[in-house]
Amino acid sequence: MTFNSLSYFIFLPLVFLVFYVTKDRSRWVVLLAASYGFYATFKAPELLLALVLVTVISFTCGTQLSRTTNESRRKLILWMGITLCILILAVIKYLPLLVNTQPSTSIFVSIGVSYFTFQAISYLADIFLEIQDPEHHLGYHALYLAFFPKLLQGPIERAHALLPQLKQPYRFDYDSMRYGILLFTWGLFKKVVVADRLALYTNTVYSDVHSYHGLAVIIGTYAYALQIYFDFAGYTDMARGTAKMFGINLSENFNKPYLSTSVADFWRRWHISFSSWILDYIFKPLQMAWRDRGHFGTSLALIVTFLVSGIWHGASLGFIIWGGLHGAYLASSTYYRPYQRRLHKWLKIDKSGLLRAWQVFVTFNLVSFAWIFFRAKSVSDACDLIRNIMDFDNSHNIQQITFGKYLKDNIFLGHGDHNFIVTVSVLTIILTVNLLKSRCNIYKYNLAVRWSIYYILVISIVLFGVFKGDSFVYFKF
Amino acid sequence: MELLDSLNNIFCKVFDDDTIKITLEMTANDIDGWDSLSHVNLITAVESHFKIRFTQKELLTLRNVGDLFKTIKCKIEE
Repeated sequence: MTFNSLSYFIFLPLVFLVFYVTKDRSRWVVLLAASYGFYATFKAPELLLALVLVTVISFTCGTQLSRTTNESRRKLILWMGITLCILILAVIKYLPLLVNTQPSTSIFVSIGVSYFTFQAISYLADIFLEIQDPEHHLGYHALYLAFFPKLLQGPIERAHALLPQLKQPYRFDYDSMRYGILLFTWGLFKKVVVADRLALYTNTVYSDVHSYHGLAVIIGTYAYALQIYFDFAGYTDMARGTAKMFGINLSENFNKPYLSTSVADFWRRWHISFSSWILDYIFKPLQMAWRDRGHFGTSLALIVTFLVSGIWHGASLGFIIWGGLHGAYLASSTYYRPYQRRLHKWLKIDKSGLLRAWQVFVTFNLVSFAWIFFRAKSVSDACDLIRNIMDFDNSHNIQQITFGKYLKDNIFLGHGDHNFIVTVSVLTIILTVNLLKSRCNIYKYNLAVRWSIYYILVISIVLFGVFKGDSFVYFKF
Repeated sequence: MELLDSLNNIFCKVFDDDTIKITLEMTANDIDGWDSLSHVNLITAVESHFKIRFTQKELLTLRNVGDLFKTIKCKIEE
Protein backbone atom coordinates (compact mmCIF):
# COMPACT_ATOMS: atom_id res chain seq x y z
CA MET A 1 0.00 0.00 0.00
CA THR A 2 1.42 3.36 -1.00
CA PHE A 3 0.16 6.90 -0.34
CA ASN A 4 -1.19 7.26 -3.87
CA SER A 5 -3.07 3.94 -3.85
CA LEU A 6 -6.84 3.61 -3.43
CA SER A 7 -6.45 1.30 -0.42
CA TYR A 8 -4.60 4.07 1.48
CA PHE A 9 -7.67 6.29 1.15
CA ILE A 10 -9.64 3.62 3.04
CA PHE A 11 -6.83 2.73 5.48
CA LEU A 12 -6.07 6.29 6.63
CA PRO A 13 -9.60 7.36 7.73
CA LEU A 14 -10.12 3.98 9.42
CA VAL A 15 -6.89 4.27 11.42
CA PHE A 16 -7.73 7.85 12.34
CA LEU A 17 -11.22 6.83 13.52
CA VAL A 18 -9.85 4.07 15.79
CA PHE A 19 -7.08 6.42 17.01
CA TYR A 20 -9.65 9.14 17.77
CA VAL A 21 -11.95 6.93 19.87
CA THR A 22 -9.05 5.32 21.78
CA LYS A 23 -7.83 6.74 25.10
CA ASP A 24 -4.47 8.55 25.15
CA ARG A 25 -2.64 5.87 27.10
CA SER A 26 -3.43 3.26 24.41
CA ARG A 27 -3.07 5.36 21.30
CA TRP A 28 0.49 4.18 20.72
CA VAL A 29 -0.93 0.65 20.36
CA VAL A 30 -3.26 1.82 17.57
CA LEU A 31 -0.46 3.61 15.72
CA LEU A 32 1.99 0.73 16.17
CA ALA A 33 -0.53 -1.88 15.00
CA ALA A 34 -1.46 0.35 12.02
CA SER A 35 2.23 0.84 11.17
CA TYR A 36 3.03 -2.88 11.25
CA GLY A 37 -0.18 -3.62 9.32
CA PHE A 38 0.74 -0.97 6.74
CA TYR A 39 4.22 -2.51 6.35
CA ALA A 40 2.73 -6.02 6.12
CA THR A 41 0.76 -5.02 3.00
CA PHE A 42 4.01 -5.29 1.03
CA LYS A 43 3.79 -9.06 1.64
CA ALA A 44 7.48 -9.35 2.55
CA PRO A 45 7.88 -11.08 5.92
CA GLU A 46 11.65 -10.46 5.84
CA LEU A 47 11.00 -6.70 5.99
CA LEU A 48 8.82 -7.06 9.08
CA LEU A 49 11.46 -9.31 10.63
CA ALA A 50 14.15 -6.70 9.89
CA LEU A 51 11.99 -4.02 11.53
CA VAL A 52 11.49 -6.15 14.65
CA LEU A 53 15.20 -7.03 14.86
CA VAL A 54 16.41 -3.43 14.43
CA THR A 55 13.85 -2.34 17.06
CA VAL A 56 14.97 -4.95 19.62
CA ILE A 57 18.70 -4.38 18.96
CA SER A 58 18.53 -0.58 19.23
CA PHE A 59 16.25 -0.76 22.29
CA THR A 60 18.53 -3.23 24.11
CA CYS A 61 21.79 -1.47 23.21
CA GLY A 62 20.28 1.94 24.06
CA THR A 63 19.22 0.73 27.50
CA GLN A 64 22.59 -0.92 28.12
CA LEU A 65 24.45 2.26 27.09
CA SER A 66 22.70 4.21 29.82
CA ARG A 67 23.55 1.59 32.46
CA THR A 68 27.32 1.88 32.25
CA THR A 69 29.80 4.71 32.61
CA ASN A 70 32.78 2.65 31.50
CA GLU A 71 33.84 4.34 28.25
CA SER A 72 35.32 1.25 26.56
CA ARG A 73 32.23 -0.80 27.38
CA ARG A 74 30.01 1.98 26.05
CA LYS A 75 32.03 2.03 22.82
CA LEU A 76 31.69 -1.74 22.53
CA ILE A 77 27.89 -1.58 22.98
CA LEU A 78 27.60 1.28 20.48
CA TRP A 79 29.64 -0.49 17.79
CA MET A 80 27.88 -3.79 18.41
CA GLY A 81 24.47 -2.13 17.95
CA ILE A 82 25.55 -0.20 14.84
CA THR A 83 27.23 -3.25 13.25
CA LEU A 84 24.17 -5.45 13.79
CA CYS A 85 21.85 -2.80 12.31
CA ILE A 86 24.10 -2.32 9.27
CA LEU A 87 24.37 -6.08 8.85
CA ILE A 88 20.56 -6.38 8.71
CA LEU A 89 20.40 -3.52 6.20
CA ALA A 90 23.14 -5.09 4.05
CA VAL A 91 21.50 -8.53 4.09
CA ILE A 92 18.09 -7.15 3.06
CA LYS A 93 19.38 -4.58 0.57
CA TYR A 94 22.43 -6.10 -1.08
CA LEU A 95 22.18 -9.89 -0.64
CA PRO A 96 19.41 -10.31 -3.24
CA LEU A 97 21.60 -8.39 -5.70
CA LEU A 98 24.58 -10.68 -5.04
CA VAL A 99 22.56 -13.90 -5.13
CA ASN A 100 20.52 -13.04 -8.25
CA THR A 101 22.55 -12.03 -11.26
CA GLN A 102 19.38 -10.49 -12.72
CA PRO A 103 18.20 -7.40 -10.79
CA SER A 104 14.87 -7.87 -9.04
CA THR A 105 11.89 -6.48 -10.88
CA SER A 106 10.30 -5.42 -7.59
CA ILE A 107 11.35 -2.06 -6.22
CA PHE A 108 9.80 -3.03 -2.88
CA VAL A 109 12.59 -5.51 -2.14
CA SER A 110 14.04 -3.41 0.70
CA ILE A 111 11.45 -0.66 1.07
CA GLY A 112 11.79 1.28 4.33
CA VAL A 113 14.71 -0.71 5.79
CA SER A 114 17.33 2.02 5.14
CA TYR A 115 15.18 4.63 6.83
CA PHE A 116 14.40 2.84 10.10
CA THR A 117 17.98 1.50 10.28
CA PHE A 118 19.36 5.04 9.96
CA GLN A 119 17.01 6.19 12.72
CA ALA A 120 18.20 3.34 14.95
CA ILE A 121 21.86 4.23 14.34
CA SER A 122 21.33 7.93 15.10
CA TYR A 123 19.38 6.94 18.25
CA LEU A 124 22.33 4.84 19.52
CA ALA A 125 24.97 7.44 18.55
CA ASP A 126 23.03 10.22 20.32
CA ILE A 127 22.72 8.15 23.50
CA PHE A 128 26.46 7.44 23.32
CA LEU A 129 27.18 11.17 22.91
CA GLU A 130 24.85 11.82 25.88
CA ILE A 131 22.62 14.18 23.91
CA GLN A 132 19.65 11.77 24.05
CA ASP A 133 18.16 9.75 26.89
CA PRO A 134 17.30 6.12 26.10
CA GLU A 135 13.62 5.24 25.69
CA HIS A 136 12.58 2.74 28.36
CA HIS A 137 9.18 1.89 26.86
CA LEU A 138 9.59 -0.72 24.10
CA GLY A 139 6.22 0.23 22.56
CA TYR A 140 7.12 3.89 22.06
CA HIS A 141 10.58 2.94 20.81
CA ALA A 142 9.03 0.53 18.28
CA LEU A 143 6.62 3.27 17.18
CA TYR A 144 9.50 5.77 16.82
CA LEU A 145 11.06 3.44 14.24
CA ALA A 146 7.83 2.20 12.59
CA PHE A 147 5.44 5.22 12.55
CA PHE A 148 3.75 4.57 9.19
CA PRO A 149 3.75 8.07 7.62
CA LYS A 150 7.56 8.12 7.58
CA LEU A 151 8.25 4.37 7.48
CA LEU A 152 8.77 3.85 3.74
CA GLN A 153 10.74 6.89 2.67
CA GLY A 154 11.42 9.10 5.66
CA PRO A 155 11.89 11.84 6.75
CA ILE A 156 14.60 10.25 8.91
CA GLU A 157 13.53 11.57 12.30
CA ARG A 158 15.85 12.05 15.30
CA ALA A 159 14.61 10.61 18.58
CA HIS A 160 14.53 13.99 20.36
CA ALA A 161 12.21 15.37 17.66
CA LEU A 162 9.72 12.50 17.32
CA LEU A 163 9.59 10.51 20.59
CA PRO A 164 8.17 13.32 22.78
CA GLN A 165 5.47 14.01 20.16
CA LEU A 166 4.38 10.36 20.14
CA LYS A 167 3.81 10.54 23.90
CA GLN A 168 1.90 13.81 24.06
CA PRO A 169 -1.88 13.63 24.56
CA TYR A 170 -3.92 14.07 21.38
CA ARG A 171 -6.56 16.79 21.15
CA PHE A 172 -8.51 17.17 17.93
CA ASP A 173 -7.58 20.46 16.30
CA TYR A 174 -9.53 21.60 13.24
CA ASP A 175 -6.65 23.75 11.91
CA SER A 176 -4.13 20.89 12.14
CA MET A 177 -6.54 18.49 10.43
CA ARG A 178 -7.25 20.99 7.65
CA TYR A 179 -3.54 21.73 7.21
CA GLY A 180 -2.75 17.99 7.15
CA ILE A 181 -5.38 17.22 4.50
CA LEU A 182 -4.32 20.18 2.35
CA LEU A 183 -0.62 19.23 2.62
CA PHE A 184 -1.46 15.64 1.69
CA THR A 185 -3.50 16.78 -1.35
CA TRP A 186 -0.76 19.20 -2.40
CA GLY A 187 1.74 16.32 -2.19
CA LEU A 188 -0.56 14.14 -4.32
CA PHE A 189 -0.73 16.97 -6.88
CA LYS A 190 3.08 17.18 -6.97
CA LYS A 191 3.29 13.44 -7.49
CA VAL A 192 0.57 12.59 -10.02
CA VAL A 193 0.23 15.87 -11.89
CA VAL A 194 3.83 17.09 -11.96
CA ALA A 195 6.30 14.25 -11.28
CA ASP A 196 4.47 11.49 -13.17
CA ARG A 197 3.85 13.84 -16.11
CA LEU A 198 7.55 14.78 -16.25
CA ALA A 199 8.35 11.05 -16.07
CA LEU A 200 6.79 10.66 -19.54
CA TYR A 201 9.60 12.82 -20.99
CA THR A 202 12.36 11.38 -18.81
CA ASN A 203 11.41 7.78 -19.57
CA THR A 204 11.24 8.45 -23.31
CA VAL A 205 14.84 9.68 -23.43
CA TYR A 206 16.37 7.36 -20.83
CA SER A 207 14.78 4.18 -22.21
CA ASP A 208 16.19 4.78 -25.71
CA VAL A 209 19.39 6.77 -25.23
CA HIS A 210 20.74 6.24 -28.75
CA SER A 211 17.77 7.90 -30.45
CA TYR A 212 18.00 11.28 -28.70
CA HIS A 213 20.57 14.05 -29.15
CA GLY A 214 21.23 17.67 -28.22
CA LEU A 215 18.20 19.55 -26.94
CA ALA A 216 16.15 16.34 -26.43
CA VAL A 217 18.74 14.97 -23.98
CA ILE A 218 18.91 18.31 -22.16
CA ILE A 219 15.09 18.38 -21.85
CA GLY A 220 15.02 14.73 -20.67
CA THR A 221 17.72 15.45 -18.07
CA TYR A 222 16.18 18.68 -16.77
CA ALA A 223 12.81 16.85 -16.69
CA TYR A 224 14.38 14.16 -14.49
CA ALA A 225 15.92 16.75 -12.14
CA LEU A 226 12.44 18.23 -11.65
CA GLN A 227 10.68 14.82 -11.63
CA ILE A 228 12.78 13.40 -8.78
CA TYR A 229 12.30 16.62 -6.80
CA PHE A 230 8.51 16.75 -7.17
CA ASP A 231 8.22 12.99 -6.67
CA PHE A 232 10.16 13.07 -3.41
CA ALA A 233 8.84 16.42 -2.20
CA GLY A 234 5.30 15.20 -3.02
CA TYR A 235 5.85 12.05 -0.98
CA THR A 236 7.25 14.10 1.93
CA ASP A 237 4.23 16.44 1.87
CA MET A 238 1.91 13.40 1.94
CA ALA A 239 3.89 11.89 4.85
CA ARG A 240 3.90 15.19 6.76
CA GLY A 241 0.23 15.77 5.97
CA THR A 242 -0.72 12.30 7.27
CA ALA A 243 1.33 12.76 10.46
CA LYS A 244 -0.21 16.19 11.05
CA MET A 245 -3.69 14.60 11.12
CA PHE A 246 -2.47 12.65 14.18
CA GLY A 247 -1.00 15.81 15.73
CA ILE A 248 2.60 14.92 14.83
CA ASN A 249 5.01 17.31 13.07
CA LEU A 250 7.54 15.57 10.82
CA SER A 251 10.64 17.37 9.52
CA GLU A 252 10.80 19.35 6.28
CA ASN A 253 12.93 17.47 3.75
CA PHE A 254 13.31 20.18 1.07
CA ASN A 255 13.90 23.90 1.01
CA LYS A 256 13.85 25.09 -2.63
CA PRO A 257 16.91 22.97 -3.50
CA TYR A 258 17.20 24.16 -7.10
CA LEU A 259 17.68 27.73 -5.91
CA SER A 260 20.96 26.71 -4.25
CA THR A 261 23.97 28.87 -5.06
CA SER A 262 26.52 26.06 -4.57
CA VAL A 263 26.57 22.28 -4.30
CA ALA A 264 27.21 22.63 -0.54
CA ASP A 265 24.10 24.83 -0.36
CA PHE A 266 22.19 22.20 -2.40
CA TRP A 267 22.94 19.55 0.23
CA ARG A 268 21.61 21.85 2.95
CA ARG A 269 18.29 22.06 1.04
CA TRP A 270 17.90 18.61 -0.59
CA HIS A 271 16.66 15.53 1.34
CA ILE A 272 17.55 17.47 4.49
CA SER A 273 16.88 14.64 6.97
CA PHE A 274 19.26 12.36 5.04
CA SER A 275 21.95 14.97 4.31
CA SER A 276 22.02 16.10 7.95
CA TRP A 277 22.24 12.41 8.97
CA ILE A 278 25.30 11.72 6.78
CA LEU A 279 26.77 15.06 7.87
CA ASP A 280 26.42 14.28 11.59
CA TYR A 281 27.21 10.56 11.63
CA ILE A 282 29.68 10.06 8.73
CA PHE A 283 31.21 13.34 7.57
CA LYS A 284 31.81 15.14 10.88
CA PRO A 285 33.51 12.20 12.68
CA LEU A 286 35.77 11.62 9.63
CA GLN A 287 36.48 15.33 9.16
CA MET A 288 37.43 15.75 12.81
CA ALA A 289 39.53 12.58 12.87
CA TRP A 290 41.47 13.85 9.83
CA ARG A 291 41.58 17.53 10.85
CA ASP A 292 45.38 17.62 11.08
CA ARG A 293 45.57 16.97 7.32
CA GLY A 294 44.03 20.37 6.50
CA HIS A 295 42.03 20.74 3.28
CA PHE A 296 43.03 17.25 2.22
CA GLY A 297 41.40 15.72 5.33
CA THR A 298 38.13 17.57 4.71
CA SER A 299 38.17 16.66 1.00
CA LEU A 300 38.79 13.01 1.77
CA ALA A 301 35.99 12.99 4.37
CA LEU A 302 33.63 14.52 1.77
CA ILE A 303 34.53 11.99 -0.91
CA VAL A 304 34.17 9.02 1.48
CA THR A 305 30.83 10.38 2.79
CA PHE A 306 29.35 10.82 -0.67
CA LEU A 307 30.66 7.47 -1.91
CA VAL A 308 28.86 5.88 1.05
CA SER A 309 25.77 7.88 0.10
CA GLY A 310 26.07 6.55 -3.47
CA ILE A 311 26.40 2.95 -2.29
CA TRP A 312 23.43 3.48 0.05
CA HIS A 313 21.30 4.38 -2.99
CA GLY A 314 22.20 1.08 -4.66
CA ALA A 315 24.96 -1.38 -5.41
CA SER A 316 25.56 -0.14 -8.94
CA LEU A 317 28.39 1.82 -10.55
CA GLY A 318 25.98 4.60 -11.62
CA PHE A 319 25.06 5.45 -8.00
CA ILE A 320 28.72 5.29 -6.94
CA ILE A 321 29.70 7.72 -9.75
CA TRP A 322 26.78 9.99 -8.75
CA GLY A 323 28.02 10.03 -5.13
CA GLY A 324 31.65 10.43 -6.27
CA LEU A 325 30.70 13.42 -8.45
CA HIS A 326 29.01 15.20 -5.53
CA GLY A 327 32.00 14.34 -3.33
CA ALA A 328 34.36 15.75 -5.97
CA TYR A 329 32.27 18.95 -6.42
CA LEU A 330 32.39 19.57 -2.66
CA ALA A 331 36.01 18.48 -2.16
CA SER A 332 37.24 20.84 -4.90
CA SER A 333 35.19 23.69 -3.41
CA THR A 334 37.14 23.43 -0.13
CA TYR A 335 40.22 24.53 -2.11
CA TYR A 336 38.80 27.26 -4.37
CA ARG A 337 35.93 28.61 -2.20
CA PRO A 338 38.01 30.96 0.00
CA TYR A 339 39.69 32.51 -3.09
CA GLN A 340 36.34 32.73 -4.89
CA ARG A 341 34.79 34.61 -1.94
CA ARG A 342 37.73 37.04 -1.83
CA LEU A 343 37.54 37.58 -5.60
CA HIS A 344 33.80 38.34 -5.41
CA LYS A 345 34.43 40.81 -2.55
CA TRP A 346 37.31 42.44 -4.41
CA LEU A 347 35.17 42.83 -7.52
CA LYS A 348 32.34 44.12 -5.28
CA ILE A 349 29.89 41.62 -6.82
CA ASP A 350 29.41 39.47 -3.70
CA LYS A 351 25.91 40.91 -3.14
CA SER A 352 24.99 41.04 -6.84
CA GLY A 353 21.71 39.46 -7.94
CA LEU A 354 23.26 38.61 -11.28
CA LEU A 355 26.05 36.65 -9.59
CA ARG A 356 23.46 34.80 -7.52
CA ALA A 357 21.45 33.92 -10.66
CA TRP A 358 24.63 32.66 -12.35
CA GLN A 359 25.52 30.55 -9.29
CA VAL A 360 22.00 29.05 -9.22
CA PHE A 361 22.27 28.21 -12.95
CA VAL A 362 25.71 26.58 -12.56
CA THR A 363 24.66 24.59 -9.47
CA PHE A 364 21.48 23.34 -11.16
CA ASN A 365 23.52 22.14 -14.13
CA LEU A 366 26.17 20.44 -11.97
CA VAL A 367 23.44 18.64 -10.03
CA SER A 368 21.55 17.72 -13.23
CA PHE A 369 24.76 16.36 -14.78
CA ALA A 370 25.22 14.03 -11.78
CA TRP A 371 21.54 12.94 -12.05
CA ILE A 372 22.38 11.44 -15.49
CA PHE A 373 24.40 8.67 -13.78
CA PHE A 374 21.69 8.29 -11.14
CA ARG A 375 18.88 7.81 -13.66
CA ALA A 376 20.52 6.01 -16.61
CA LYS A 377 20.11 2.24 -16.72
CA SER A 378 23.90 1.75 -16.94
CA VAL A 379 27.10 3.78 -16.99
CA SER A 380 27.45 3.14 -20.71
CA ASP A 381 23.95 4.61 -21.26
CA ALA A 382 24.96 7.64 -19.16
CA CYS A 383 28.18 8.12 -21.20
CA ASP A 384 26.20 7.84 -24.47
CA LEU A 385 23.77 10.50 -23.24
CA ILE A 386 26.60 12.85 -22.25
CA ARG A 387 28.18 12.39 -25.70
CA ASN A 388 24.78 12.97 -27.33
CA ILE A 389 24.20 16.25 -25.43
CA MET A 390 26.91 17.88 -27.54
CA ASP A 391 25.50 16.45 -30.76
CA PHE A 392 23.01 19.06 -31.93
CA ASP A 393 23.56 18.22 -35.61
CA ASN A 394 22.23 14.69 -35.24
CA SER A 395 19.97 14.53 -38.23
CA HIS A 396 22.81 14.35 -40.77
CA ASN A 397 20.48 16.11 -43.19
CA ILE A 398 19.33 18.95 -41.01
CA GLN A 399 18.31 21.13 -43.96
CA GLN A 400 15.39 18.83 -44.71
CA ILE A 401 13.95 19.05 -41.20
CA THR A 402 10.98 21.32 -40.75
CA PHE A 403 10.47 23.37 -37.60
CA GLY A 404 7.38 21.29 -36.76
CA LYS A 405 9.28 18.03 -36.95
CA TYR A 406 12.13 19.49 -34.87
CA LEU A 407 9.64 20.48 -32.17
CA LYS A 408 7.94 17.08 -32.28
CA ASP A 409 11.17 15.07 -32.05
CA ASN A 410 13.33 17.21 -29.78
CA ILE A 411 10.98 19.10 -27.49
CA PHE A 412 7.64 17.24 -27.37
CA LEU A 413 9.61 13.95 -27.45
CA GLY A 414 6.70 12.25 -29.20
CA HIS A 415 4.10 13.19 -26.55
CA GLY A 416 2.25 15.80 -28.61
CA ASP A 417 1.78 19.53 -28.18
CA HIS A 418 -1.22 19.14 -25.81
CA ASN A 419 0.84 17.16 -23.30
CA PHE A 420 3.70 19.63 -23.59
CA ILE A 421 1.48 22.66 -23.00
CA VAL A 422 -0.12 20.99 -19.94
CA THR A 423 3.33 20.09 -18.56
CA VAL A 424 4.75 23.60 -19.03
CA SER A 425 1.60 25.19 -17.53
CA VAL A 426 1.61 22.87 -14.53
CA LEU A 427 5.32 23.51 -13.97
CA THR A 428 4.85 27.29 -14.20
CA ILE A 429 2.00 27.14 -11.66
CA ILE A 430 3.80 24.91 -9.18
CA LEU A 431 7.11 26.80 -9.36
CA THR A 432 5.25 30.10 -8.81
CA VAL A 433 3.29 28.63 -5.88
CA ASN A 434 6.55 27.24 -4.40
CA LEU A 435 8.13 30.69 -4.61
CA LEU A 436 5.11 32.51 -3.16
CA LYS A 437 4.18 29.89 -0.53
CA SER A 438 6.27 31.42 2.22
CA ARG A 439 4.90 34.90 1.46
CA CYS A 440 1.14 34.28 1.40
CA ASN A 441 -0.97 32.31 3.79
CA ILE A 442 -3.93 30.56 2.18
CA TYR A 443 -5.88 30.58 5.48
CA LYS A 444 -5.97 34.38 5.48
CA TYR A 445 -8.24 34.38 2.43
CA ASN A 446 -12.02 34.28 2.81
CA LEU A 447 -14.05 31.08 2.63
CA ALA A 448 -14.97 31.39 -1.07
CA VAL A 449 -11.35 31.89 -2.21
CA ARG A 450 -10.09 29.08 0.03
CA TRP A 451 -12.65 26.57 -1.19
CA SER A 452 -12.08 27.61 -4.81
CA ILE A 453 -8.40 26.77 -4.32
CA TYR A 454 -9.29 23.38 -2.75
CA TYR A 455 -11.64 22.54 -5.66
CA ILE A 456 -9.12 23.63 -8.30
CA LEU A 457 -6.47 21.44 -6.64
CA VAL A 458 -8.69 18.34 -6.57
CA ILE A 459 -10.08 18.90 -10.08
CA SER A 460 -6.51 19.41 -11.41
CA ILE A 461 -5.47 16.09 -9.90
CA VAL A 462 -8.39 14.34 -11.57
CA LEU A 463 -8.05 16.10 -14.94
CA PHE A 464 -4.29 16.38 -15.34
CA GLY A 465 -2.97 13.55 -13.16
CA VAL A 466 -1.10 10.68 -14.77
CA PHE A 467 -2.51 7.52 -13.19
CA LYS A 468 -0.26 4.69 -14.25
CA GLY A 469 0.29 3.30 -10.76
CA ASP A 470 3.86 4.65 -10.72
CA SER A 471 5.47 4.26 -7.32
CA PHE A 472 7.75 6.83 -5.75
CA VAL A 473 11.36 7.04 -7.02
CA TYR A 474 12.91 6.86 -3.55
CA PHE A 475 11.04 3.67 -2.51
CA LYS A 476 13.88 1.57 -3.88
CA PHE A 477 16.44 3.22 -1.60
CA MET B 1 36.48 37.86 29.34
CA GLU B 2 40.07 37.53 28.12
CA LEU B 3 39.27 34.04 26.86
CA LEU B 4 36.17 35.25 25.02
CA ASP B 5 38.22 38.07 23.39
CA SER B 6 40.86 35.60 22.22
CA LEU B 7 38.13 33.35 20.85
CA ASN B 8 36.56 36.36 19.11
CA ASN B 9 39.91 37.15 17.42
CA ILE B 10 40.11 33.57 16.17
CA PHE B 11 36.59 33.81 14.71
CA CYS B 12 37.51 37.09 12.94
CA LYS B 13 40.66 35.54 11.48
CA VAL B 14 39.09 32.23 10.39
CA PHE B 15 35.97 33.78 8.83
CA ASP B 16 37.92 36.76 7.44
CA ASP B 17 35.61 39.32 9.03
CA ASP B 18 36.81 41.88 11.62
CA THR B 19 33.27 42.92 12.52
CA ILE B 20 32.35 39.60 14.20
CA LYS B 21 31.30 39.98 17.85
CA ILE B 22 30.61 36.56 19.29
CA THR B 23 28.15 35.80 22.07
CA LEU B 24 27.70 32.52 23.95
CA GLU B 25 24.29 31.85 22.34
CA MET B 26 25.54 32.24 18.76
CA THR B 27 25.37 29.26 16.39
CA ALA B 28 26.73 28.62 12.89
CA ASN B 29 23.57 30.23 11.48
CA ASP B 30 24.58 33.60 12.97
CA ILE B 31 28.03 33.89 11.40
CA ASP B 32 28.52 34.24 7.66
CA GLY B 33 30.79 31.51 6.33
CA TRP B 34 30.58 29.24 9.41
CA ASP B 35 29.38 25.98 7.89
CA SER B 36 30.29 22.31 8.23
CA LEU B 37 33.19 22.72 5.79
CA SER B 38 34.81 25.73 7.47
CA HIS B 39 34.08 24.47 11.02
CA VAL B 40 37.23 22.35 10.94
CA ASN B 41 39.38 25.48 10.31
CA LEU B 42 37.90 27.06 13.44
CA ILE B 43 38.61 23.96 15.51
CA THR B 44 42.24 23.60 14.35
CA ALA B 45 42.83 27.35 14.89
CA VAL B 46 41.42 27.10 18.45
CA GLU B 47 43.49 23.98 19.21
CA SER B 48 46.66 25.58 17.93
CA HIS B 49 46.07 28.93 19.74
CA PHE B 50 45.20 27.45 23.15
CA LYS B 51 47.51 24.43 22.73
CA ILE B 52 44.72 21.98 23.54
CA ARG B 53 43.29 18.90 21.83
CA PHE B 54 39.54 18.21 21.70
CA THR B 55 38.22 14.65 21.81
CA GLN B 56 35.85 13.36 19.10
CA LYS B 57 33.01 13.29 21.63
CA GLU B 58 33.62 16.93 22.64
CA LEU B 59 33.66 18.00 19.00
CA LEU B 60 30.51 16.12 18.06
CA THR B 61 28.47 17.58 20.91
CA LEU B 62 29.30 21.28 20.33
CA ARG B 63 26.05 23.11 19.58
CA ASN B 64 26.97 26.81 19.93
CA VAL B 65 29.74 29.27 20.84
CA GLY B 66 28.91 28.78 24.53
CA ASP B 67 29.62 25.02 24.31
CA LEU B 68 32.94 25.75 22.58
CA PHE B 69 33.83 28.38 25.18
CA LYS B 70 33.03 26.05 28.11
CA THR B 71 35.02 23.16 26.60
CA ILE B 72 38.08 25.40 26.02
CA LYS B 73 37.82 26.74 29.60
CA CYS B 74 37.68 23.21 31.04
CA LYS B 75 40.65 22.11 28.91
CA ILE B 76 42.80 25.10 29.93
CA GLU B 77 41.99 24.63 33.62
CA GLU B 78 42.77 20.88 33.53
